[in-house]
Amino acid sequence: MAKIKLENVSFLYGKGTSYCKEALKNVNIEIKEGSITGLIGHTGSGKSTMLQLLNGLAKPAEGKVYLDGEDIWEKPKEIGKVRFRVGLVMQYPEYQLFEETVEKDIAFGPKNMGLSESEISERIREAIDFVGLSPDVLSKNPFDLSGGQKRRVAIAGVIAMRPEVLVLDEPAAGLDPQGRDIILGGVFKYREKTGATVIIVSHSMEDMARLCDNIIVLSHGEVVLNGTRDEVFAQSQMLEKIGLAVPQITLLMHELNARGIIVDNGIYTEEAAAAEIARLFGGAR
Amino acid sequence: MNSDSYIKIENLSISYEEDDGGRTSVLKNISLDIKRGEYLAVLGHNGSGKSTLAKLLNMILEPDSGKIYIDGREITDPSMTEEDVFDLRKKVGMVFQNPDNQLVATIVEDDVAFGPENLGIEPNEIRKRVDDALSVVGMSEHAKGEPARLSGGQKQRVAIAGILAMKPDCMIFDESTAMLDPLGRRDIMNTIETLNREHGITVIMITHYMDEAARANRIVVLDDGEILMDGAPAEIFQRHEELKACGLDVPQCVGLVHMLGEQGIKIEGECHTPSLCADAIAEALKKR
Amino acid sequence: MRSIALGQYYSVDSPIHRLDPRVKIVLAILYIVIVFLSANMLSMALILGSAFLLVALAHIPVKLVMKSVKPIVFIIAFTAIINIFWTSGEGDPLLDIGFAQIYKEGIVNAVFLMIRIFVLIIGSSILLTYTTTPISLTDGIERLLGPLKKIGLPVHDFAMIMTIALRFIPTLMEEADKIMSAQKARGADFTNGSLIQRAKALIPILIPLFSSSIRHALDLATAMECRCYRGGEGRTRMKILKCGTADIVAVISIVAFGAAVICLNVFFA
Repeated sequence: MAKIKLENVSFLYGKGTSYCKEALKNVNIEIKEGSITGLIGHTGSGKSTMLQLLNGLAKPAEGKVYLDGEDIWEKPKEIGKVRFRVGLVMQYPEYQLFEETVEKDIAFGPKNMGLSESEISERIREAIDFVGLSPDVLSKNPFDLSGGQKRRVAIAGVIAMRPEVLVLDEPAAGLDPQGRDIILGGVFKYREKTGATVIIVSHSMEDMARLCDNIIVLSHGEVVLNGTRDEVFAQSQMLEKIGLAVPQITLLMHELNARGIIVDNGIYTEEAAAAEIARLFGGAR
Repeated sequence: MNSDSYIKIENLSISYEEDDGGRTSVLKNISLDIKRGEYLAVLGHNGSGKSTLAKLLNMILEPDSGKIYIDGREITDPSMTEEDVFDLRKKVGMVFQNPDNQLVATIVEDDVAFGPENLGIEPNEIRKRVDDALSVVGMSEHAKGEPARLSGGQKQRVAIAGILAMKPDCMIFDESTAMLDPLGRRDIMNTIETLNREHGITVIMITHYMDEAARANRIVVLDDGEILMDGAPAEIFQRHEELKACGLDVPQCVGLVHMLGEQGIKIEGECHTPSLCADAIAEALKKR
Repeated sequence: MRSIALGQYYSVDSPIHRLDPRVKIVLAILYIVIVFLSANMLSMALILGSAFLLVALAHIPVKLVMKSVKPIVFIIAFTAIINIFWTSGEGDPLLDIGFAQIYKEGIVNAVFLMIRIFVLIIGSSILLTYTTTPISLTDGIERLLGPLKKIGLPVHDFAMIMTIALRFIPTLMEEADKIMSAQKARGADFTNGSLIQRAKALIPILIPLFSSSIRHALDLATAMECRCYRGGEGRTRMKILKCGTADIVAVISIVAFGAAVICLNVFFA
């Protein structure tokens, strides 16, 4: 059974005003339990809206959102519980920190869940370990940390709720390669250890290629591609057409084909490309 | 001093005070010569000192020691008057990371006019500069629009127009694409290239994106406040291992060529962009 | 993205929209004075007529204007009722209910007052908020008060503060929205609980919003410095406000209107 299922979901913006716009149109997707799914689309494609639909921050105008086969809006009063099960890390989450210590800030979610003190402190320790912070930051003021560290504290704040589904909106935006690797590595580790389902938005196709099992591409509120990583990257022309960044390696494959050197157009990793080109040279020497 | 040198940095050092009273060095004895019309990328991970360098060039910060010359004038000279400072800020414009924090007015064209207005330029001349600047960045049709309704990339182009209207010789982009989506980034990168090629503006681009740095004429890699590498993109990317060691990525194509090399397949020549790399592979195939 | 309408500005092209903001501010002040000068049925009728004329000239839908008057209907009614009971007249009361009497003068006063408030609201909003963007209003105020700079009043700084505030309202609204969603995602509850609990629930929003405002402010200050900003001194403006024929016509009309109201007051007293 799918962990999350969106059935004929539509969403309207600014209902009843002159700015009314359909942010999502008749979306049908299924997300497999324990998978890492990448969500791609440019600004205004509806991906932020989709993330908010997954944890009940937004309610679909039409259609149903299912979590473990249950309609999350069946009992609107209990939507809060859905938010603990589907943890959402929004864009630039470091700007939501508010407590005087890192420990208190991470505790905010677990406290709202009504957990016991000992349970909370155990979860805090576990969460900072996932994001690669050492326990001595716990007593620090989050506003004294570096940008990358703040981001990790904010992500720990969601991980500490131990969500079954972890949703992240561009968790690596604006970070340097090192910062990006720590955060994406932490997310990967969380999935490995807990078996959680992960949904991640990123503009970096290279990150997507490295991390995701499945990829969903949104454009103008519609799902245009939905499949395994290989299936989606095989459609690189389509990705370019909707103005998405294609991995540099894929572009190289196009360039080679344009020069009459016939190679597989769907290659997106350095390793696969190296094997393909080695083939042209008659194998490795 | 070299006649075509535009910015000259000599033995520049700066540090800041820690809470515990100690000092942390941000830039350590840096010397750099930037030529007029050059397109330079300054590459480094967060905390490598690259943004501090930008703030020094615009006199937002003062160095502990060392000298900076811009267009032959020493800006670190303590006898600089306020008038001199403004004269230099006009010559070296800055574009920052968050487009929202650079726009002052609620109408696009009023915002672009802000800089020239501060310089006390004639109204008719301002009008002309604003129209020209908006057309260079391709935002003329939004002249009467509100910044709040624009996309990130569009806002950033307005911010660039605002600097351009002051007629600078040099523009510094301090991670100006970091908050944009791929379309916005592409727009800004193309705009920067136009400014450099067609308008002769010296460009200093501070970034941690390899693909952006690869488009410059010259790359300076900063690591822990020191210049680790300085050269053309092709030269820099040869030093694959060193870049990785200081927390930077290399373009995928360069990584690929490196990987092929390990398998005994030698690809020679520049290969940091897909088209250069395809050429190099085609060449190597012919030689085989 | 959520759209936030600032003030009541209604974007159409009309003769009133095109007037110089400085002229409109002066006109609005004169109009208010004239409305208070009117003292009899005839001059009242004239100002009421002028209000409708303004609405028509500004191309603002009557429905919209009525909607903006709605919230103050209660205040108008309340003052009118107080006036009815508080005014005593010379003749016999029209109605005597023991503890209060209603005189003819009371009713007349109440009607006059109602018309005055009604016209005042419509006139000033047509001349100012409906037809002038907040930014050109600020601009108009800065230039009108310009002479006060000579006696050391920071007129330019005030206008700059207003401009930046207007510029950042949509940005901060959007940010508040995001922070609220983020805290809700961590289980924050803003709708249930006692008043104190709900006030406390705002802390996770207010602190990030506050720190983000400071960050915006610091960055903006740096960016402004880089764009050679150093206060109002030596600054020129791209857009020069020029009083055209239309502005002169508008000023003459309002003076004529004022004269007419005074004449009606004097000759038909």
